[in-house]
Amino acid sequence: MSAIDYDIVIVGGGMSGLMAGILLVEKGHQVALISRGDPAACLSTGCIDVLAHDRNPLANIYALPLEHPYHLVSPDGIHAALDKFGEIMTDARLPYIGTPEENRSILTPLGTNKITCLVPRTMESSPQNPDEYIHVISFKGLKDFYPSYIISRRMNSGFSVFDAGVPTTMGIATRFEDKEFQKTFIAWLKGLEIPDGKIAVPAVLGLENPLSIMQEITARLERWVFEIPTLPPSIPGIRLIKALKRTFQKKGGDVYWGSPVASVEKAGRLVEALTIETKGRPSRVHGRAFILATGSFVSGGLFALRDAVQETVFGLPVSVPGPREEWFNKDFFTLGHAIEKAGIRVDASFRPVEAGFENLFVCGSILAFSEVMKHGCGHGLALATGMAAAQSCEGYLQ
Amino acid sequence: MVRTDVIIIGGGATGCGIARDLALRGIPHYLIERDDFAAGATGACHGLLHSGGRYVVTDPEAAKECIEENTILREIGEKCVEQTGGLFVRLPGDSKRFRDRFLKSCEEVGIPTEILSPTRALDLVPSLNPVIEEAIRVPDCSIDPFRLCMLNAYSSRQKGGGILIHHKVIDIIREHGRCVGVKAQDRFTKQVKEIRAKVIINATGAWGNKIAVLGGSDVPMTLSKGSLVITNHRLTNMVINRLRPPSDGDIIVPNEAVCLAGTTSITVEDPDAVEVESREVDIIVTEAERMLPNFRTTRMIRAYTGVRPLLKADTSDSRAISRGFRIIDHGNGMFSILGGKLSTYRLMAEKMVDTIMEVFGLKVPCETALKPLDGQDELSGYPLSKRLKDLSNIVCECELVTREEVERVINRIGTKYIGDIQHRTRLGMGPCQGGFCTYRALGIMHDMGRVPADESMRVLREFLQRRFRGIRPALWGDQLREEQLVESIYLGILSMEKEP
Repeated sequence: MSAIDYDIVIVGGGMSGLMAGILLVEKGHQVALISRGDPAACLSTGCIDVLAHDRNPLANIYALPLEHPYHLVSPDGIHAALDKFGEIMTDARLPYIGTPEENRSILTPLGTNKITCLVPRTMESSPQNPDEYIHVISFKGLKDFYPSYIISRRMNSGFSVFDAGVPTTMGIATRFEDKEFQKTFIAWLKGLEIPDGKIAVPAVLGLENPLSIMQEITARLERWVFEIPTLPPSIPGIRLIKALKRTFQKKGGDVYWGSPVASVEKAGRLVEALTIETKGRPSRVHGRAFILATGSFVSGGLFALRDAVQETVFGLPVSVPGPREEWFNKDFFTLGHAIEKAGIRVDASFRPVEAGFENLFVCGSILAFSEVMKHGCGHGLALATGMAAAQSCEGYLQ
Repeated sequence: MVRTDVIIIGGGATGCGIARDLALRGIPHYLIERDDFAAGATGACHGLLHSGGRYVVTDPEAAKECIEENTILREIGEKCVEQTGGLFVRLPGDSKRFRDRFLKSCEEVGIPTEILSPTRALDLVPSLNPVIEEAIRVPDCSIDPFRLCMLNAYSSRQKGGGILIHHKVIDIIREHGRCVGVKAQDRFTKQVKEIRAKVIINATGAWGNKIAVLGGSDVPMTLSKGSLVITNHRLTNMVINRLRPPSDGDIIVPNEAVCLAGTTSITVEDPDAVEVESREVDIIVTEAERMLPNFRTTRMIRAYTGVRPLLKADTSDSRAISRGFRIIDHGNGMFSILGGKLSTYRLMAEKMVDTIMEVFGLKVPCETALKPLDGQDELSGYPLSKRLKDLSNIVCECELVTREEVERVINRIGTKYIGDIQHRTRLGMGPCQGGFCTYRALGIMHDMGRVPADESMRVLREFLQRRFRGIRPALWGDQLREEQLVESIYLGILSMEKEP
């Protein structure tokens, strides 16, 4: 079977893989990105958590356990990665706001506050003050959004229900792509004569350009509007991944989406090629270097057996935190189940330890000890390690 | 204060069976259950309507009761019994002598059997391990314990019986040394109701001693924990038993869209402090694999454990204790009914009510074996055939439950508990175990104004914690993957915290 030659082959189409991919194509490399399907980021709020449990995430990285992969990137490196992300998203017309020096809070569909760091501009006006009046808009039959949760927890709030004719977030977001639908919605909204304060909508303001829809509403009603991220599938998460993927492709990267890796070819200390299952017939991609960014269990980068954990692409050794009965706490609400520590241990150059590969680099939540839920560091860690692994990979290729 | 003739404590199969029996004999009564129906051993068993084969060698008397009750329940409880039939399979190495004793005992007790060659058995259940030596067919059935309780309670309600679920008996009122009533506390509002009666029946299974002590006496019991796992689909259409003396992990029962496999038997002290251990799950899965090899790669969605209330015996091996039952007259107006099992619940209720009739000096014969369970059409659960008719507004994608169905249940029983909706609609019983629909179910309750604002977070927290207890012991493979997503929903996207 003939192979397509690349400088770098990235496995995993989530935040870290796309970040690494964009940086490497920008440097003029030929890059392929292989993804089994839409990544777990499509199920996320679309917000960038950097370190959720402190007011200033960047200043508190040092307090993380020594083995945490954030320590492989300097605070400056983390800052640079988040700045770069901000630029990419502004160019992609899906701008984010925020700085890694200060966390902010957004309203959840349960009426609680979620602490995060960078947020899409459509969530910028999410109230920071519990007494602010907000008027919640819901959609008839929408099964993943119940304004009464929010109303019952906020003294100053009200709600109205719009009939979009479809009951899912995906369906409603698709309808918002239609200008006529937008007009009808805004006219209805205007007719409500909402007394004062901000307007909250579930995150369904279109798939492509929510900011313009939001600005249109703000202009017509003279009210601040903000989105509340809903349960998966999450529109802000989907927008985020679509924007990064499009950026990567625009800059010249090749994407093999929906294509699981079927086999790996190795020669000595090098990974040489991957065979992937694409529609029609298998393809073989050859690379000088490889980046593994397949994520943890949810994304399928790791898979747990009853008594072991496997890395699903290269069969790399996985660091596992003890026997199965110790993987999970008894309490659902105590953050930090031991299993979150499972993953691939890497050296300072992001090469997996005890695997013996010179040209393989690992980034994102598949890294051992990342404990993403516990520390609230998901997308931030993905961006920072994605950039760092890309830099290390570049250094190797030179 | 309410006055009645008989108070039944416990809403398991025994308690509900007694309520129906009393109703049919025209005796006013009240049933009090601290949780939902079938919350104890009734709902935490295999859901197996025994043919008796399981006990026929070790406990022929219990086996005889089983086959008689099996025959009656298939008649009267058409809608909650699935006549699957069962196989006892003999694997290489399993004793041939035991097999001979099994067949002989079945004949003596009256359990119909048919010996099947491996080929014939594999025709019936293609997922069976092809190395089996032979299989013996018996009339085992699958039974829905929750529905069974609901139907028995339904008869009671129809005849004016009082049914109080989510009420915990916090005290037994005693006057001049006699038990004359109970104080029952609403689990949600904490309000206390007083109910008085001539007789109190303690049908609380593993909690029997706790209640007896409140009444000033005690009951000798051995508590035996039995754990089970649930697969995410149905691997067999017949009950599969291992043809050997009762041991761990040797029964697999199909139930609705899933299979239940178990059990273990471990003596415990406190029925409120039991949980499934990882090693029990390993034993069950390993043993089940020997009968159905594809069990190895099947996704487990949950594990659970029930506590068998066994009669006290002088043996440390809880498997060797009789599965028979006993009625104890405490001589102070309270009776305890102990031991037994789901398959013989009706017989237990009959004997219990016979005893009460004697106390009351009445002679009305028992009719529970003769009349079909009432309400089977109204309360036949929410079968797939019904669910497939309306696919709009689905709030639980795993089990195809619609918003309308959830609203109907909320309106009918006025519940504040997500678990009640789950038990009555199968919402949240599928592979994600309520990962998505829990938020929706409570959201609907919210929209309907059923849950006060300050309580909703507590309700959600309690439910998620309970749910996790069942999921935790069987977390690997795709179920672990799913669980991490569910965790990211509730603790990440929704930012729930442990404390308010």
